[in-house]
Amino acid sequence: MLSYNFEYYKPKSIKEAIEQYQTSKSQDKKPLYYGGGTEILTLGRLNYIYTDAIIDLKGIPECKEFGFQNNELVIGSTLSLSVFEENKVFPLLTNTSKEVADYSSRNSITIGGNICGQIFYREAVLPFLLSDSTVIIAGPSGVKKFLINEIFNKELRLDEGEFLVQIGTEKEYLKAPYLSVKKRKQWDTGYPLLTVAALKKDGIIRFAFSGVCPYPFRSIQMEKILNDKKLSYKDRVLASFEYLPSPILNDIEGSDGYRLFVLENTLSNILSYLGGEELE
Amino acid sequence: MDIIGKGVTRKDAWEKVTGQAIYTGDHKETKILHVKKVISPYGHANIKNIDITKAEKVAGVRAIITGGNLPLTGEEIRDRYPIAQDKVRYHGEVVALVVADTPKQAKFAADSIQVIYEPLPVINSPIDAINPKYPLLHPDLDTYKKISEVFPEPGTNIANRTKIRKGDIKKGWQESDIIVEEKFSFSPSDHVAMETRCSLAEIRADNKVVISSSSQAPFMIKRLISDYFGVEIGNVIVNTPLVGGAFGGKASVQLELLAYIASKAVNGRLVIVENSREEDILTSPCHIGLDATVKLGCTKSGLLKIAEMTYLWDGGAYADKATDLSRAGAVDCTGPYNIENIWCDSLCMYTNHPYASPYRGFAHSEVLFAFERTMDSLSKKLGIDPLELREMNAILPGNSTPTQVQLNSSTVGNLPKCISELKKKMNWEEGQLVKINDNTIRAKGIACVWKTSTIDTNAGSGVILTFNPDGSVNVISGVIEIGTGTKTVLAQIVSEKLKMDIDHVKVQMEVNTQSTPEHWKTVASRATLMAGRAAIQAAEDALLQIKQLASIVLRAPVEDIDLGQERVYLRGDPEIGIPFNQLVYGYKYPDGSAIGGQIIGRGQYTIPHITNLDPETGAGKPGPEWTVGAQGVEVEYDINEYTYKIVRAISVIDAGKVLNQKTAEGQIMGAMSMGLAFGGRETFYFDNFGRVLNPQFRTYRPLRYGENPEYICEFVNTPQLDAPYGARGLGEHGLLGMPAALGNCLSLAAGIPLNQLPLIPELIWRGKKGSRL
Repeated sequence: MLSYNFEYYKPKSIKEAIEQYQTSKSQDKKPLYYGGGTEILTLGRLNYIYTDAIIDLKGIPECKEFGFQNNELVIGSTLSLSVFEENKVFPLLTNTSKEVADYSSRNSITIGGNICGQIFYREAVLPFLLSDSTVIIAGPSGVKKFLINEIFNKELRLDEGEFLVQIGTEKEYLKAPYLSVKKRKQWDTGYPLLTVAALKKDGIIRFAFSGVCPYPFRSIQMEKILNDKKLSYKDRVLASFEYLPSPILNDIEGSDGYRLFVLENTLSNILSYLGGEELE
Repeated sequence: MDIIGKGVTRKDAWEKVTGQAIYTGDHKETKILHVKKVISPYGHANIKNIDITKAEKVAGVRAIITGGNLPLTGEEIRDRYPIAQDKVRYHGEVVALVVADTPKQAKFAADSIQVIYEPLPVINSPIDAINPKYPLLHPDLDTYKKISEVFPEPGTNIANRTKIRKGDIKKGWQESDIIVEEKFSFSPSDHVAMETRCSLAEIRADNKVVISSSSQAPFMIKRLISDYFGVEIGNVIVNTPLVGGAFGGKASVQLELLAYIASKAVNGRLVIVENSREEDILTSPCHIGLDATVKLGCTKSGLLKIAEMTYLWDGGAYADKATDLSRAGAVDCTGPYNIENIWCDSLCMYTNHPYASPYRGFAHSEVLFAFERTMDSLSKKLGIDPLELREMNAILPGNSTPTQVQLNSSTVGNLPKCISELKKKMNWEEGQLVKINDNTIRAKGIACVWKTSTIDTNAGSGVILTFNPDGSVNVISGVIEIGTGTKTVLAQIVSEKLKMDIDHVKVQMEVNTQSTPEHWKTVASRATLMAGRAAIQAAEDALLQIKQLASIVLRAPVEDIDLGQERVYLRGDPEIGIPFNQLVYGYKYPDGSAIGGQIIGRGQYTIPHITNLDPETGAGKPGPEWTVGAQGVEVEYDINEYTYKIVRAISVIDAGKVLNQKTAEGQIMGAMSMGLAFGGRETFYFDNFGRVLNPQFRTYRPLRYGENPEYICEFVNTPQLDAPYGARGLGEHGLLGMPAALGNCLSLAAGIPLNQLPLIPELIWRGKKGSRL
């Protein structure tokens, strides 16, 4: 139960959504764009999130898009994660997103909400970072397209009043060899101790991480070393650690030292699964 | 009739599977007022100021209650204000209540109350609590009212000390060739019952205090409300409908007091106090933690000669039931072994953690984790198979317990038989470690368990049977249906005694303390024994009345009247008989005149010969019998990543007699599941302010369906002679050895001693790293 009241809007177009945001803002309200509500409601009841104007994006056709346009798979931001569990057109996305939360929650959690939310794991973004996807972002200054790797830095860098409309991924990435590994503190339930998603493109394995740092990331520098065939798998992994961003998470899910231990094992396993010949 | 032992469908099954079952929080009456709490964000702090001015202005607010002018409460030591006064001693402690027309208004107002705290140094473990350098949490300990069986030590943080002094310690060490000593620790955790706690209260114009509560102990609520607030005890009426999981956590009385206080503040109007999940974890009492040292000595051949233990219980900020837990931990301070010389100090320590309530097993799984892990260390040092070591030392009729009770084959089950059954079920000859592939090994670990139930010496239970015009019977008992199926077992007992179809035995699930005969508390795996005996007596009482009436109607001596198929008849000529339905409301002759009247069967039972413990030696009889068992766990362990999957969990329990196969298996499996979650994952994480960092299901994770292993339950049947059909308590026993068996299993697999809980892969990693350095 939320102890505060809020206005609820369900605009039917991008334009209407943005205008509503501006209007609420001009009335000194704290509008929030709303996808599945799993964060706004559960954190709202603890007063970690406050809003008095909710703008539900699920009525906007573009946000519900799912299919191929030209050479691209287009995914609307308000599709729930369970959609990708059923439809395996992008297997890496299927495998990464089906480990988020639990089945009932995934019926509500939207892909846009997972990527743009406060809970910092944002695992659904990993496949898109690896596949050099594009994002369509709408805001007061219009609708724009960006490369996700340019606009996603720890989080999707949205300006005031902007929201994620769609994500576009080129077909050639969809069937690329991949592996997504989620390690938890214990057994099969809970947030990631860490999640590593990997995708092999043109003989090079790309890596993106969640739960290692308090934000998801893809590191080109680490990828370079992890693909350095002059080094053994183990050496590659250890050398790549030089380029790990900071801080390494140290919390109730696990200490930083333990996370590095698990990361070392996980990367080694991914390399042996996707890497082919260890040494040239 | 052979209804005893059958897997009869539970009487509460249909309403539960259809969602029609009513729990306390489901009573949503229109004129009810809603109570929300303000709770402490710190583990230890002075309350400098509480500003309620903003909250008072919130629409719909009827009352705001802060500490002061309230009595000290607590079951054994009265050390706790229901609402904190001047100081908070744990994260989640109630600081204020808001009563308002709607839950939302109450919450908004509660959120608007501004409290200024001055954080104080925190005691985050029992070991710190005993260190004089740390603050004294209850400087007024000497002034608190207490019961005579609790022994606090004013000027320290010791809320209770129970001493066990059996045999001759010096002799024990002299006779020992091999000695091991191990230390253990784990933090408090929680029960996380599916139904969060909830209480309603109303004070009526005629001074009746009517409470509804999700409780295991409505009759205790009645007593305590009367004691604490000076209400005439007969004016306190407590209702308890079905309870959605309790596990000991609902044996403590807490929200009921808040509901009473809140109702009083609004002129007795009906109020409801419901815990959010976070409050249920933080504010309401939790599962106790422990720091333990266990030292064992034995001969070269493995015969135990001495056990010396120090248990420092993490009782939390207030004593309540924690002192009782520390006493129960002393009563069965060892595993189920014959040990002549025992020394144990079991201390309940005050800390700045949420305070403890009972938790399924009542201090036994905690003690057994420490003791049974040490037994494995001993077996390793001796080079003797761990099950063989246990078999060799198994407690037997003729031996005595740590509190010097001489056992016989009725008062203790057959442990050697449980061990030999376990060996078969675990394919023990195959060995404890089996290589599966280069990365994975399968490992087996075991533990032996026992438990008696330390209950009040005069705790009793009553059962009333009434009849319906069709001859069917109603069973009315104060046992709470907390999910254990006990009331179905009572129905089976009545069905068997009256030779009546089980479908004609109706059970009243709800308890009302005014109209339901008292059952002390639905705790301690004692409901089947106590209420079962009462049910037998009630059935016999009813039957005698029926026979007496029949003897008049049938014009034959009572001794000649027999019973079957819901009628009574002459044993010499079964054709001459009369059905129940013509007798249970009195018999009406053809001319209309009647004889007799309603048949009301009465039964009661109090366990005889339970005594208090001697304060110096611990000698005394704390409970009626000891259920024993042997348990095992098999895991697949990854030798590189230190992760593991539990593939199988096995319990062989001497049940005495299984009264309902399905519910008995359900109890054992459910308890194993809980024990594995406690052993493998569940714990509170505290920060330096004593704050619990994981008071939500996001981060506090019980075992989820699908993570469970295969469960195997096997029963041995050594009857307890004075129990109904010989049945021993078994509601808790499936849990008792699980943390220890898992710890033994993983210690063997990893090759390092794992003496902390929960047994997460990171713990193994730490141990491995330590051993490599």
